[in-house]
Amino acid sequence: MPLQELDIKPMHNGNWRSPAEVMRLTRMGSAHPTRLSFLRVLLRRIQDEGWQFTRPVWDLDDRGVGRAVYCAIGPERTYSLVAFAHDLPEDMRSDRVIATAWDATFALFDGVPTPEDLDRLEKNVPYQEAGRVSIKELSLSRANRSVRLFNHVVERLSCGEQPDVEEIEAVGYLMRTTAVYGAGKFGAADHEVIRDRAEFKAPFQAEMLSVWLTRQFCADIVEHLAVSKGGDRATRLAPDLKARLGVGNSTGLGMAPFIIRHPVLLNNWVMAREEALARVRNLDEADQEAISSLHKAFAEAKVNLSQWRSEHALQVAKLDDLKQDFKLLQEKLQAFPEATQKPWDDLWCWGQKALSVEGQEALLSLILEPHGDLVDGLADCMSAEESGSYRINGAMETAHLRNLLEQHYGWALSIDFTKSENAARFWYVSEEKLEPRLGERELDDGSELEQPLCIARLASELYIRLSETQDDESVAAFLLRFPEHRFIVRRVQLVDTYPFAEVQDNLIADDMLPIDLMRCKLAFFGATHFDPRSDKWVRICLFQGDPYPLDPAETTENVHGKA
Amino acid sequence: MEKHNPVGEVVTTSVSRTDPVQMSKNEVSALCFKAARGAGMSWGLAEEAGFAAAWLHAQGFDGPGNLASHLNFATGMAWRDICPQVRPGQWSASSSVPLCPVAVGATLADHAGLPETRLAEAGLMTGPVSHPLLVLPFLAAVAQAIGKDLSVTCLGQKTGVTADGRVLGEVVALSAGEACELNIRIETLEVDRPAPREALPVDLDTIEQLNIFALRTTVPPSERSRAGAGSLASDND
Repeated sequence: MPLQELDIKPMHNGNWRSPAEVMRLTRMGSAHPTRLSFLRVLLRRIQDEGWQFTRPVWDLDDRGVGRAVYCAIGPERTYSLVAFAHDLPEDMRSDRVIATAWDATFALFDGVPTPEDLDRLEKNVPYQEAGRVSIKELSLSRANRSVRLFNHVVERLSCGEQPDVEEIEAVGYLMRTTAVYGAGKFGAADHEVIRDRAEFKAPFQAEMLSVWLTRQFCADIVEHLAVSKGGDRATRLAPDLKARLGVGNSTGLGMAPFIIRHPVLLNNWVMAREEALARVRNLDEADQEAISSLHKAFAEAKVNLSQWRSEHALQVAKLDDLKQDFKLLQEKLQAFPEATQKPWDDLWCWGQKALSVEGQEALLSLILEPHGDLVDGLADCMSAEESGSYRINGAMETAHLRNLLEQHYGWALSIDFTKSENAARFWYVSEEKLEPRLGERELDDGSELEQPLCIARLASELYIRLSETQDDESVAAFLLRFPEHRFIVRRVQLVDTYPFAEVQDNLIADDMLPIDLMRCKLAFFGATHFDPRSDKWVRICLFQGDPYPLDPAETTENVHGKA
Repeated sequence: MEKHNPVGEVVTTSVSRTDPVQMSKNEVSALCFKAARGAGMSWGLAEEAGFAAAWLHAQGFDGPGNLASHLNFATGMAWRDICPQVRPGQWSASSSVPLCPVAVGATLADHAGLPETRLAEAGLMTGPVSHPLLVLPFLAAVAQAIGKDLSVTCLGQKTGVTADGRVLGEVVALSAGEACELNIRIETLEVDRPAPREALPVDLDTIEQLNIFALRTTVPPSERSRAGAGSLASDND
C-alpha cells in the first residue's frame, strides 16, 4: 500500500540534493521520467481502481471524418473524451500555435455528454482557441498526423499486412498533440473545480487522461480507414506493434515559461522527486525482489534508449553519452549490491562520479523503480494551491529580505548584467495568438515589452536597490516606494519555504537553451524520446509501451512494465 | 449527420458578438493581469489586479468590469499620484486624483501585520478610492491573515468580509463605480449571509477594453520573430 501523504515530511533532509545542483538548466535539461511522472500516476490509479472504458460513439465516414466518444468510468465519476476527426489538407498542417485547423480535435468532458453537448462541442472544439468550451469540459486539445507513418500503417492494414516495425520505431506515434489546454483555458473548468477529487490530486491528471484516450483514438482511426480502403482484406494492428505506438507531442516555446510562472508547483514536483531519491538512498539493504525489479527496469530503459532517435546535434551527443553510461551501468548492476550498508546510496554515489549528467538522471529513475511502496504516495504532494496568490509578508524587514537574496540567489547576484552576453535575449509575447517568444536584444524590436522571466536580473536589481535602503524599513514601506520590485519580492519570500522554486540559471543569457526548460516539464509528465527540432522546439512521445484503454490488460504486452 | 469540417471556413466562434461570455476564474485572472500591466502597473501590482478581479468574478461580482473601468480612468497616471500616503490610521492621496484600489488593497495586505492600519482601533480612513469594489478581495486576504472579520464603510453603507472569505451586507455603494472614502475596521457584521452567488458572464465590452490594454504588452510580429519561433524542420512529415 503506497504511503498517502498530505505534505512531504522529509525523512532524510540531509540527503536531498541541493537546489544549486538540481535546479541548473543542464541537469533539468537531462531529466528522465520516473514513476512519479504524471502519466504513471494516472495509469497506476486506473489499474488499482479497476476503471472501465467504453466507446459509445464512433461516427466516422469513409474518409475518417466525423466524431467519436470514449468513456473512462472510475469508481465515482465518468469522464469522456469527445473527438472530432477532420480531413486536413497538407498545406494546412502545422504544429505551431498559429495553425487554424488540425487532423483531429478533442475535449475531455466531465461526465457523459448528451447529444446536445456533442452538438455544442462540435461548433467549438474544431476551432480550438477561436471557440469556447464550458465548465463541463476539463481539457481542449488537438493532434496532427505523422503523415508518413499514418499513411504507411493504413496502407498496410488495408492490404491485410502489418506495418514495418522499422517505420514504427522511426516515428513512434500515429499522431502528435500540438496543444493540450486545461485549467480554465477558453472557458473550461478551473483547476479549483476538480482539485478535491481524488483522481485529480496529482498534477495534470485530466490532461494525461485526455492524451491516453487520444492514443486509443489514433489506433482506432487507422483501423477504421484500413477497413474503408481495403474492405474484407483489411486486418487489425498486431498487439506488439500497437504497443510500440505512443502519442507524440510537439511543443514550442509556449511551454517553457510555464515552470517559471508557477514556482511553487515546480518546487513541489522537484521536492517530491528529491525526497523519493533520498528515501531510496537511505535504505539499509537491497532485497532480491528489488534487485530483480531494478534489472527489469534497466532492461526496459535499454529498449527505450535503442528506440530514442534524434537528429539534433546536442541531443545526439547526449545520447552518445547515455549509451556509454549504460555500458558502465550494465557492468555495475551485475555486481549490485556491492556495499553491505546502504547499497542504493553506494550505487548512487558511484553514478555521481562515473556517469554523465544524462546518465545520472537516468539512474535516478531506475533506482526509484523498485520502490513504489516507499515513494508513490509522494505523488499526492506534487500539486500546488496557487489560486489565492501568495501574499507578501510586508512586516519583514528589508535586512531580512537582503539576507534571503544572499542565501538563495547567490547564483543570480554573481552575474554581471552589464555584459551584453548576460542580457542578450528577452522574453516577449507576440501579438499573433499571444505566443511567447524569445528575442535578441540587439536585433529585435520590443525589448521594452520584456516579460518578467529574467529572474536573475530582477533579483540582482532588487539587491542593488536594497543596498541603498535602511535595514529596519519594512518590506511594506519599501514596496510603497518601489512598486517595480513587487514581482521579485514575492518570489524571494517564497523561495525561503520552497527551495526548489527557482531555476538557478540566467534565462536571458546568449547561450540559454529553452529546450532544457521544456525537457524538465515533459519528463515530469512522463515523456520519452525527447527529440529537439531546434533550440526552441521539441517532439516527444507519451504512453509508448503502455496498455490501451479498450484492450484488456492481459492482451497488451506492457513493454515498459509500467502501470 | 452532416460532418463538421473547419478547413477552409472563416474562423468564427459560436459566441455571437453581443452575448456576454462565461469566463473561468483562470481566464479572468490572466486577462486582467495582462490588462493591468498594459495600462502601466508594475508586474507585481498587475498580479494583484488579476487576483482581485478573479476573486470578485468567482464570487459573482463584476471584477473585470470594475478593473476595466478603473484602468480607463487611471492609465498613464504616475504611481506617486495614485498610491496611498501611509500614516497610522490615515491613508490619503497625495494629489486630487483618487487612489488606485489595487494599490490601496495591496498596500493594506502588505501592512496586515503592521501597526499603520489601526484596524483594531478607530479603523483605517482612506482618501477617495477609485472603483472601491476592487479593494474587497484584499480585505478578505487581510481578514484571513489576522483571523478576524472586517467591515468597510463606503458612502454610509457597510460591507463585511469574514475571516473565511465570505462577503456580507450590501455592495451597492462599493459597486457604484464612484471614487469614495473608505473606513475599514475589525468588526463582525450581524447580517444574514445572502445565498452564494455564481460567477456572472462577462460583458463583451469589458473583454474588449481589457483586451485593448492586454495587447499593449505584446510585440507586433516581424518576419524574423516568426521564423525563430517554430521548428527548423517541416511539420508535414
